[in-house]
Amino acid sequence: MNLKDKITAKISSFPTLPVMVSKLLHVINEPDAGAADVAKIIQYDPALTANVLKAANSAFLGFRSPVNSISEASFRLGTKWIYQIAVSSLIFSNMKKPVAGYDLGEEKLWKHSLSVALMSEALCTLLRIRDVGIIYTAALLHDMGKIVLGEHLVDHLGEIQSIVDEQEIPFEKAEDKIMGIDHAELGALIAERWRFPDTIIDCIRWHHNPDDAPQISNALDIVHIADSMSLMEGFGYGRDELQYRMSEQAVARVNATSAILELALSKTILTMEDIENIVKDMPTENSGREVKT
Amino acid sequence: MAVHVVGISDFRTSSNPDDIIITYSLGSCIGMTVYDPATRVGGMIHYMLPLSKISPDKALVKPAMFADTGVPELLKKVLELGASKSRLVVKVAGGSQLMDQHKVFNIGERNFLILRKILWKNNILIKAADVGGVISRTVRFELGTGKVTIKSSKGEVEL
Ligand SMILES: [Fe+2]
Ligand SMILES: [Fe+2]
Repeated sequence: MNLKDKITAKISSFPTLPVMVSKLLHVINEPDAGAADVAKIIQYDPALTANVLKAANSAFLGFRSPVNSISEASFRLGTKWIYQIAVSSLIFSNMKKPVAGYDLGEEKLWKHSLSVALMSEALCTLLRIRDVGIIYTAALLHDMGKIVLGEHLVDHLGEIQSIVDEQEIPFEKAEDKIMGIDHAELGALIAERWRFPDTIIDCIRWHHNPDDAPQISNALDIVHIADSMSLMEGFGYGRDELQYRMSEQAVARVNATSAILELALSKTILTMEDIENIVKDMPTENSGREVKT
Repeated sequence: MAVHVVGISDFRTSSNPDDIIITYSLGSCIGMTVYDPATRVGGMIHYMLPLSKISPDKALVKPAMFADTGVPELLKKVLELGASKSRLVVKVAGGSQLMDQHKVFNIGERNFLILRKILWKNNILIKAADVGGVISRTVRFELGTGKVTIKSSKGEVEL
Protein backbone atom coordinates (compact mmCIF):
# COMPACT_ATOMS: atom_id res chain seq x y z
CA MET A 1 0.00 0.00 0.00
CA ASN A 2 1.44 3.39 -0.91
CA LEU A 3 1.25 6.37 1.42
CA LYS A 4 -1.76 7.94 -0.31
CA ASP A 5 -3.83 4.75 -0.07
CA LYS A 6 -2.83 4.37 3.55
CA ILE A 7 -4.03 7.90 4.27
CA THR A 8 -7.31 7.71 2.32
CA ALA A 9 -8.11 4.41 4.04
CA LYS A 10 -8.35 6.43 7.26
CA ILE A 11 -11.33 8.37 5.95
CA SER A 12 -13.72 5.55 6.80
CA SER A 13 -12.87 5.87 10.48
CA PHE A 14 -13.19 9.67 10.45
CA PRO A 15 -15.93 10.69 12.90
CA THR A 16 -19.22 11.26 11.20
CA LEU A 17 -20.84 14.65 11.26
CA PRO A 18 -23.81 15.14 13.58
CA VAL A 19 -26.89 14.22 11.55
CA MET A 20 -28.44 17.54 12.53
CA VAL A 21 -25.93 19.40 10.37
CA SER A 22 -27.05 17.52 7.26
CA LYS A 23 -30.68 18.14 8.12
CA LEU A 24 -30.16 21.87 8.62
CA LEU A 25 -28.05 22.06 5.50
CA HIS A 26 -30.77 20.33 3.51
CA VAL A 27 -33.36 22.88 4.62
CA ILE A 28 -31.16 25.94 4.16
CA ASN A 29 -30.26 24.70 0.66
CA GLU A 30 -33.91 24.68 -0.42
CA PRO A 31 -34.73 27.92 -2.22
CA ASP A 32 -38.10 28.29 -0.47
CA ALA A 33 -36.94 27.31 3.01
CA GLY A 34 -38.20 29.63 5.70
CA ALA A 35 -37.59 30.37 9.34
CA ALA A 36 -40.21 27.82 10.36
CA ASP A 37 -38.32 24.95 8.72
CA VAL A 38 -35.04 25.73 10.47
CA ALA A 39 -36.84 26.23 13.79
CA LYS A 40 -38.66 22.90 13.39
CA ILE A 41 -35.43 20.98 12.99
CA ILE A 42 -33.69 22.69 15.90
CA GLN A 43 -36.68 22.21 18.21
CA TYR A 44 -36.56 18.50 17.51
CA ASP A 45 -33.23 18.37 19.38
CA PRO A 46 -33.46 19.50 23.03
CA ALA A 47 -29.70 19.94 23.52
CA LEU A 48 -29.38 22.05 20.40
CA THR A 49 -32.43 24.10 21.36
CA ALA A 50 -30.83 24.82 24.72
CA ASN A 51 -27.59 25.83 22.99
CA VAL A 52 -29.26 28.25 20.60
CA LEU A 53 -31.36 29.82 23.38
CA LYS A 54 -28.27 30.22 25.53
CA ALA A 55 -26.57 32.00 22.65
CA ALA A 56 -29.60 34.19 21.99
CA ASN A 57 -29.63 35.22 25.65
CA SER A 58 -25.90 35.81 25.94
CA ALA A 59 -24.79 39.12 27.29
CA PHE A 60 -23.24 40.47 24.11
CA LEU A 61 -26.55 40.58 22.27
CA GLY A 62 -27.95 42.55 25.19
CA PHE A 63 -31.67 41.81 24.93
CA ARG A 64 -33.56 43.17 27.94
CA SER A 65 -36.27 40.53 27.95
CA PRO A 66 -35.23 36.89 27.66
CA VAL A 67 -35.62 34.92 24.44
CA ASN A 68 -37.76 31.90 25.32
CA SER A 69 -38.22 29.90 22.17
CA ILE A 70 -36.51 29.11 18.89
CA SER A 71 -39.24 30.84 16.92
CA GLU A 72 -38.82 33.95 19.04
CA ALA A 73 -35.05 33.75 18.54
CA SER A 74 -35.43 33.47 14.79
CA PHE A 75 -37.86 36.38 14.79
CA ARG A 76 -35.45 38.62 16.73
CA LEU A 77 -32.15 37.45 15.27
CA GLY A 78 -33.03 35.99 11.89
CA THR A 79 -32.95 32.47 10.50
CA LYS A 80 -29.41 32.92 9.20
CA TRP A 81 -28.09 33.71 12.69
CA ILE A 82 -29.85 30.72 14.27
CA TYR A 83 -28.52 28.46 11.55
CA GLN A 84 -24.95 29.68 12.00
CA ILE A 85 -24.95 29.28 15.78
CA ALA A 86 -26.50 25.82 15.50
CA VAL A 87 -24.00 24.59 12.90
CA SER A 88 -21.02 26.17 14.67
CA SER A 89 -21.89 24.50 17.96
CA LEU A 90 -22.59 21.15 16.30
CA ILE A 91 -19.24 21.15 14.50
CA PHE A 92 -17.21 22.43 17.47
CA SER A 93 -16.72 18.97 19.00
CA ASN A 94 -15.36 17.59 15.71
CA MET A 95 -12.82 20.40 15.36
CA LYS A 96 -11.65 21.34 18.85
CA LYS A 97 -8.97 18.68 19.32
CA PRO A 98 -5.29 19.51 18.72
CA VAL A 99 -4.00 18.48 15.29
CA ALA A 100 -0.58 16.86 15.29
CA GLY A 101 1.70 17.47 12.33
CA TYR A 102 0.32 20.94 11.76
CA ASP A 103 1.19 21.82 15.38
CA LEU A 104 -2.32 23.11 15.93
CA GLY A 105 -2.95 23.26 19.67
CA GLU A 106 -6.22 22.77 21.50
CA GLU A 107 -9.07 24.58 19.67
CA LYS A 108 -6.70 26.18 17.13
CA LEU A 109 -8.20 24.48 14.07
CA TRP A 110 -11.60 25.39 15.42
CA LYS A 111 -10.60 29.01 15.84
CA HIS A 112 -9.23 29.21 12.32
CA SER A 113 -12.33 27.52 10.87
CA LEU A 114 -14.70 29.82 12.74
CA SER A 115 -12.78 32.90 11.65
CA VAL A 116 -13.00 31.82 7.99
CA ALA A 117 -16.74 31.22 8.42
CA LEU A 118 -17.32 34.64 9.99
CA MET A 119 -15.10 36.32 7.40
CA SER A 120 -17.07 34.59 4.62
CA GLU A 121 -20.30 35.83 6.13
CA ALA A 122 -18.97 39.39 6.36
CA LEU A 123 -17.78 39.25 2.74
CA CYS A 124 -21.13 37.88 1.53
CA THR A 125 -22.98 40.70 3.27
CA LEU A 126 -20.67 43.39 1.89
CA LEU A 127 -20.66 41.95 -1.63
CA ARG A 128 -24.37 41.06 -1.62
CA ILE A 129 -23.74 37.40 -2.29
CA ARG A 130 -26.49 34.94 -1.37
CA ASP A 131 -26.25 31.33 -0.18
CA VAL A 132 -24.58 32.41 3.04
CA GLY A 133 -25.69 29.20 4.79
CA ILE A 134 -23.86 26.95 2.34
CA ILE A 135 -20.79 29.17 2.23
CA TYR A 136 -20.65 29.43 6.05
CA THR A 137 -20.77 25.64 6.39
CA ALA A 138 -18.14 25.10 3.70
CA ALA A 139 -15.89 27.63 5.45
CA LEU A 140 -16.28 25.86 8.81
CA LEU A 141 -15.22 22.56 7.26
CA HIS A 142 -12.67 23.67 4.63
CA ASP A 143 -9.59 22.43 6.53
CA MET A 144 -11.00 19.26 8.12
CA GLY A 145 -8.71 17.19 5.89
CA LYS A 146 -5.89 18.39 8.16
CA ILE A 147 -7.28 16.19 10.94
CA VAL A 148 -6.66 13.09 8.80
CA LEU A 149 -3.45 14.23 7.10
CA GLY A 150 -1.89 15.66 10.28
CA GLU A 151 -0.97 12.38 11.93
CA HIS A 152 0.85 11.21 8.79
CA LEU A 153 2.50 14.58 8.27
CA VAL A 154 4.54 14.28 11.47
CA ASP A 155 7.18 12.02 9.86
CA HIS A 156 7.44 14.06 6.65
CA LEU A 157 7.50 17.66 7.87
CA GLY A 158 11.19 18.10 7.12
CA GLU A 159 10.80 16.94 3.50
CA ILE A 160 7.69 19.05 2.98
CA GLN A 161 9.25 22.21 4.37
CA SER A 162 12.43 21.76 2.35
CA ILE A 163 10.58 21.51 -0.98
CA VAL A 164 8.43 24.51 0.00
CA ASP A 165 11.68 26.42 0.51
CA GLU A 166 13.59 25.07 -2.49
CA GLN A 167 10.84 25.10 -5.10
CA GLU A 168 8.94 28.06 -3.65
CA ILE A 169 5.64 26.23 -3.86
CA PRO A 170 2.75 26.59 -1.40
CA PHE A 171 2.36 24.14 1.46
CA GLU A 172 -0.56 22.16 0.01
CA LYS A 173 1.37 21.54 -3.23
CA ALA A 174 4.26 20.18 -1.17
CA GLU A 175 1.87 17.97 0.80
CA ASP A 176 0.64 16.54 -2.47
CA LYS A 177 4.17 15.90 -3.75
CA ILE A 178 5.38 14.14 -0.62
CA MET A 179 2.21 12.49 0.70
CA GLY A 180 0.44 11.87 -2.62
CA ILE A 181 -2.57 13.90 -1.46
CA ASP A 182 -3.18 17.28 0.19
CA HIS A 183 -5.49 18.33 3.05
CA ALA A 184 -7.96 20.00 0.67
CA GLU A 185 -8.52 16.85 -1.40
CA LEU A 186 -8.81 14.75 1.75
CA GLY A 187 -11.43 17.09 3.18
CA ALA A 188 -13.37 16.88 -0.09
CA LEU A 189 -13.31 13.07 0.06
CA ILE A 190 -14.75 13.21 3.57
CA ALA A 191 -17.49 15.61 2.46
CA GLU A 192 -18.29 13.31 -0.48
CA ARG A 193 -18.70 10.43 1.94
CA TRP A 194 -21.14 12.57 3.89
CA ARG A 195 -23.05 13.18 0.61
CA PHE A 196 -22.74 16.93 1.00
CA PRO A 197 -23.95 19.36 -1.71
CA ASP A 198 -21.48 19.68 -4.60
CA THR A 199 -20.91 23.37 -3.88
CA ILE A 200 -19.51 22.55 -0.44
CA ILE A 201 -17.38 19.69 -1.75
CA ASP A 202 -15.90 22.01 -4.40
CA CYS A 203 -15.22 24.76 -1.85
CA ILE A 204 -13.26 22.31 0.27
CA ARG A 205 -11.40 20.66 -2.62
CA TRP A 206 -10.26 23.89 -4.32
CA HIS A 207 -9.98 26.27 -1.37
CA HIS A 208 -6.29 26.93 -2.04
CA ASN A 209 -6.56 26.86 -5.85
CA PRO A 210 -9.89 28.31 -6.96
CA ASP A 211 -8.58 29.10 -10.45
CA ASP A 212 -7.98 25.40 -11.13
CA ALA A 213 -11.52 24.32 -10.25
CA PRO A 214 -13.57 22.90 -13.14
CA GLN A 215 -16.44 25.06 -12.00
CA ILE A 216 -15.89 28.51 -10.57
CA SER A 217 -18.43 29.79 -8.06
CA ASN A 218 -18.92 32.74 -5.73
CA ALA A 219 -18.92 30.30 -2.83
CA LEU A 220 -15.50 28.96 -3.73
CA ASP A 221 -14.00 32.41 -4.30
CA ILE A 222 -15.39 33.67 -0.98
CA VAL A 223 -14.05 30.71 1.01
CA HIS A 224 -10.65 31.11 -0.67
CA ILE A 225 -10.45 34.84 0.04
CA ALA A 226 -11.72 34.45 3.61
CA ASP A 227 -9.17 31.68 4.27
CA SER A 228 -6.34 33.81 2.85
CA MET A 229 -7.32 36.74 5.05
CA SER A 230 -7.62 34.58 8.13
CA LEU A 231 -4.11 33.26 7.42
CA MET A 232 -2.82 36.83 7.22
CA GLU A 233 -4.50 37.86 10.45
CA GLY A 234 -3.25 34.88 12.42
CA PHE A 235 -6.42 33.32 13.73
CA GLY A 236 -5.03 29.94 14.77
CA TYR A 237 -1.65 29.51 13.09
CA GLY A 238 -0.21 26.06 12.52
CA ARG A 239 3.07 24.69 11.22
CA ASP A 240 2.14 25.73 7.64
CA GLU A 241 1.92 29.40 8.72
CA LEU A 242 1.38 31.77 5.77
CA GLN A 243 2.88 29.48 3.15
CA TYR A 244 -0.05 29.69 0.76
CA ARG A 245 -1.08 31.86 -2.20
CA MET A 246 -4.05 34.15 -2.68
CA SER A 247 -5.61 34.29 -6.15
CA GLU A 248 -5.82 37.74 -7.71
CA GLN A 249 -8.46 36.43 -10.11
CA ALA A 250 -10.72 35.27 -7.28
CA VAL A 251 -10.61 38.74 -5.74
CA ALA A 252 -11.41 40.30 -9.13
CA ARG A 253 -14.23 37.82 -9.87
CA VAL A 254 -16.23 38.82 -6.77
CA ASN A 255 -15.37 42.52 -7.25
CA ALA A 256 -13.79 42.81 -3.83
CA THR A 257 -11.95 46.10 -3.38
CA SER A 258 -9.32 46.45 -0.72
CA ALA A 259 -11.69 48.65 1.31
CA ILE A 260 -14.26 45.84 1.31
CA LEU A 261 -11.67 43.27 2.35
CA GLU A 262 -10.47 45.53 5.16
CA LEU A 263 -14.04 46.13 6.33
CA ALA A 264 -14.67 42.38 6.41
CA LEU A 265 -11.55 41.94 8.53
CA SER A 266 -12.52 44.62 11.01
CA LYS A 267 -16.04 43.19 11.29
CA THR A 268 -14.76 39.69 11.91
CA ILE A 269 -12.36 40.68 14.65
CA LEU A 270 -15.16 42.37 16.56
CA THR A 271 -17.52 39.37 16.49
CA MET A 272 -14.97 36.57 16.64
CA GLU A 273 -14.41 36.52 20.38
CA ASP A 274 -18.09 36.72 21.28
CA ILE A 275 -19.14 33.90 18.97
CA GLU A 276 -16.14 31.83 20.02
CA ASN A 277 -17.08 32.11 23.68
CA ILE A 278 -20.75 31.39 23.07
CA VAL A 279 -19.97 28.22 21.16
CA LYS A 280 -17.27 27.12 23.61
CA ASP A 281 -19.62 27.54 26.55
CA MET A 282 -22.11 25.12 25.14
CA PRO A 283 -22.43 21.54 26.24
CA THR A 284 -20.91 19.51 23.42
CA GLU A 285 -21.87 15.90 24.11
CA ASN A 286 -23.30 14.66 20.87
CA SER A 287 -24.59 11.37 22.20
CA GLY A 288 -27.42 10.08 20.08
CA ARG A 289 -26.81 12.68 17.40
CA GLU A 290 -24.09 10.98 15.43
CA VAL A 291 -24.70 8.65 12.55
CA LYS A 292 -22.35 6.20 10.91
CA THR A 293 -22.24 6.37 7.15
CA MET B 1 5.15 41.11 38.36
CA ALA B 2 2.46 40.91 35.76
CA VAL B 3 2.36 39.48 32.25
CA HIS B 4 0.17 41.57 29.97
CA VAL B 5 -1.08 39.88 26.81
CA VAL B 6 -1.91 42.19 23.93
CA GLY B 7 -4.70 40.82 21.74
CA ILE B 8 -5.34 41.79 18.11
CA SER B 9 -6.40 45.45 17.91
CA ASP B 10 -5.23 46.24 21.40
CA PHE B 11 -2.37 47.91 23.25
CA ARG B 12 -0.89 47.72 26.76
CA THR B 13 1.40 50.06 28.65
CA SER B 14 3.28 49.75 31.93
CA SER B 15 5.65 51.63 34.19
CA ASN B 16 6.43 48.63 36.37
CA PRO B 17 9.95 47.31 35.61
CA ASP B 18 8.90 43.82 36.71
CA ASP B 19 6.24 43.56 34.01
CA ILE B 20 6.33 41.69 30.73
CA ILE B 21 4.19 42.45 27.70
CA ILE B 22 3.55 39.71 25.12
CA THR B 23 1.67 39.42 21.85
CA TYR B 24 1.09 36.16 19.97
CA SER B 25 0.65 35.13 16.34
CA LEU B 26 1.53 38.30 14.47
CA GLY B 27 0.92 37.70 10.79
CA SER B 28 0.31 40.70 8.58
CA CYS B 29 -0.49 42.70 11.71
CA ILE B 30 2.21 44.88 13.26
CA GLY B 31 3.48 44.65 16.80
CA MET B 32 5.36 47.74 17.93
CA THR B 33 7.08 48.31 21.25
CA VAL B 34 8.02 51.75 22.60
CA TYR B 35 10.34 52.18 25.59
CA ASP B 36 11.99 54.93 27.56
CA PRO B 37 15.10 53.37 29.18
CA ALA B 38 15.48 56.27 31.63
CA THR B 39 12.05 56.03 33.24
CA ARG B 40 11.50 52.39 32.23
CA VAL B 41 8.06 53.20 30.88
CA GLY B 42 6.88 51.30 27.82
CA GLY B 43 4.06 49.84 25.82
CA MET B 44 3.12 47.56 22.95
CA ILE B 45 0.44 47.75 20.27
CA HIS B 46 -0.87 44.98 17.96
CA TYR B 47 -2.82 46.62 15.14
CA MET B 48 -4.33 44.91 12.11
CA LEU B 49 -5.08 47.59 9.52
CA PRO B 50 -3.39 50.77 8.26
CA LEU B 51 -6.10 53.43 8.06
CA SER B 52 -9.26 54.06 10.07
CA LYS B 53 -11.04 55.83 7.24
CA ILE B 54 -12.60 52.52 6.12
CA SER B 55 -14.60 52.43 9.36
CA PRO B 56 -14.35 55.47 11.66
CA ASP B 57 -17.03 54.06 14.00
CA LYS B 58 -14.89 50.98 14.69
CA ALA B 59 -11.89 53.23 15.33
CA LEU B 60 -13.90 54.92 18.09
CA VAL B 61 -14.60 51.60 19.82
CA LYS B 62 -11.18 50.04 19.14
CA PRO B 63 -8.60 52.68 18.15
CA ALA B 64 -5.80 50.09 18.27
CA MET B 65 -7.35 48.27 15.32
CA PHE B 66 -5.75 50.84 13.00
CA ALA B 67 -2.25 52.29 12.78
CA ASP B 68 -3.38 55.89 12.31
CA THR B 69 -5.57 55.92 15.44
CA GLY B 70 -3.77 53.31 17.58
CA VAL B 71 -0.16 54.46 17.34
CA PRO B 72 -0.85 58.08 18.46
CA GLU B 73 -2.98 56.67 21.29
CA LEU B 74 -0.12 54.44 22.48
CA LEU B 75 2.39 57.31 22.26
CA LYS B 76 0.06 59.56 24.25
CA LYS B 77 -0.35 56.93 26.99
CA VAL B 78 3.38 56.28 27.47
CA LEU B 79 4.13 60.01 27.55
CA GLU B 80 1.45 60.40 30.23
CA LEU B 81 3.13 57.62 32.21
CA GLY B 82 6.42 59.55 32.17
CA ALA B 83 8.22 58.53 29.01
CA SER B 84 10.04 61.19 27.02
CA LYS B 85 9.54 61.32 23.27
CA SER B 86 13.19 62.05 22.57
CA ARG B 87 14.34 58.95 24.42
CA LEU B 88 11.77 56.54 22.98
CA VAL B 89 13.22 53.29 21.62
CA VAL B 90 10.89 51.86 18.99
CA LYS B 91 10.98 48.26 17.74
CA VAL B 92 8.71 46.74 15.14
CA ALA B 93 7.73 43.18 14.19
CA GLY B 94 5.17 41.49 11.94
CA GLY B 95 3.92 42.65 8.57
CA SER B 96 4.07 39.16 7.08
CA GLN B 97 2.42 38.26 3.80
CA LEU B 98 1.25 35.23 1.88
CA MET B 99 3.55 33.78 -0.82
CA ASP B 100 4.13 36.03 -3.84
CA GLN B 101 1.68 38.54 -2.52
CA HIS B 102 2.76 41.61 -4.43
CA LYS B 103 -0.29 43.30 -5.80
CA VAL B 104 -3.36 41.89 -4.13
CA PHE B 105 -4.23 43.17 -0.72
CA ASN B 106 -0.73 43.22 0.71
CA ILE B 107 -1.88 44.36 4.11
CA GLY B 108 1.39 43.43 5.81
CA GLU B 109 3.47 45.72 3.62
CA ARG B 110 0.96 48.57 3.87
CA ASN B 111 0.80 48.20 7.63
CA PHE B 112 4.55 48.79 7.87
CA LEU B 113 4.61 51.62 5.32
CA ILE B 114 1.99 53.63 7.14
CA LEU B 115 3.78 53.14 10.46
CA ARG B 116 7.00 54.54 9.05
CA LYS B 117 5.07 57.56 7.82
CA ILE B 118 3.41 58.18 11.18
CA LEU B 119 6.68 57.85 13.10
CA TRP B 120 8.54 60.03 10.61
CA LYS B 121 5.96 62.78 11.09
CA ASN B 122 6.48 62.48 14.85
CA ASN B 123 10.28 62.61 14.51
CA ILE B 124 10.63 59.15 15.99
CA LEU B 125 13.15 56.66 14.61
CA ILE B 126 12.74 52.90 14.40
CA LYS B 127 15.62 51.28 16.29
CA ALA B 128 15.06 47.74 14.98
CA ALA B 129 12.54 45.89 12.83
CA ASP B 130 11.86 42.29 11.94
CA VAL B 131 9.14 42.45 9.31
CA GLY B 132 7.87 40.54 6.28
CA GLY B 133 8.20 36.94 5.21
CA VAL B 134 5.65 34.13 5.38
CA ILE B 135 6.05 33.47 9.10
CA SER B 136 4.10 34.20 12.25
CA ARG B 137 5.82 35.90 15.18
CA THR B 138 5.43 36.14 18.93
CA VAL B 139 6.86 39.25 20.58
CA ARG B 140 8.01 39.41 24.22
CA PHE B 141 8.94 42.73 25.82
CA GLU B 142 10.60 43.14 29.26
CA LEU B 143 9.90 46.48 30.92
CA GLY B 144 12.87 46.20 33.27
CA THR B 145 15.49 46.01 30.54
CA GLY B 146 13.64 47.00 27.39
CA LYS B 147 14.66 43.67 25.87
CA VAL B 148 12.47 42.58 22.95
CA THR B 149 12.58 38.98 21.69
CA ILE B 150 10.88 37.54 18.64
CA LYS B 151 9.92 33.88 18.49
CA SER B 152 8.99 32.21 15.21
CA SER B 153 9.50 28.96 13.32
CA LYS B 154 12.94 30.35 12.41
CA GLY B 155 13.92 30.36 16.08
CA GLU B 156 14.23 33.00 18.78
CA VAL B 157 16.07 36.28 18.22
CA GLU B 158 16.59 39.46 20.17
CA LEU B 159 15.49 42.57 18.35
FE1 LIG C 1 -6.28 24.83 3.86
FE1 LIG D 1 -7.60 27.30 6.16
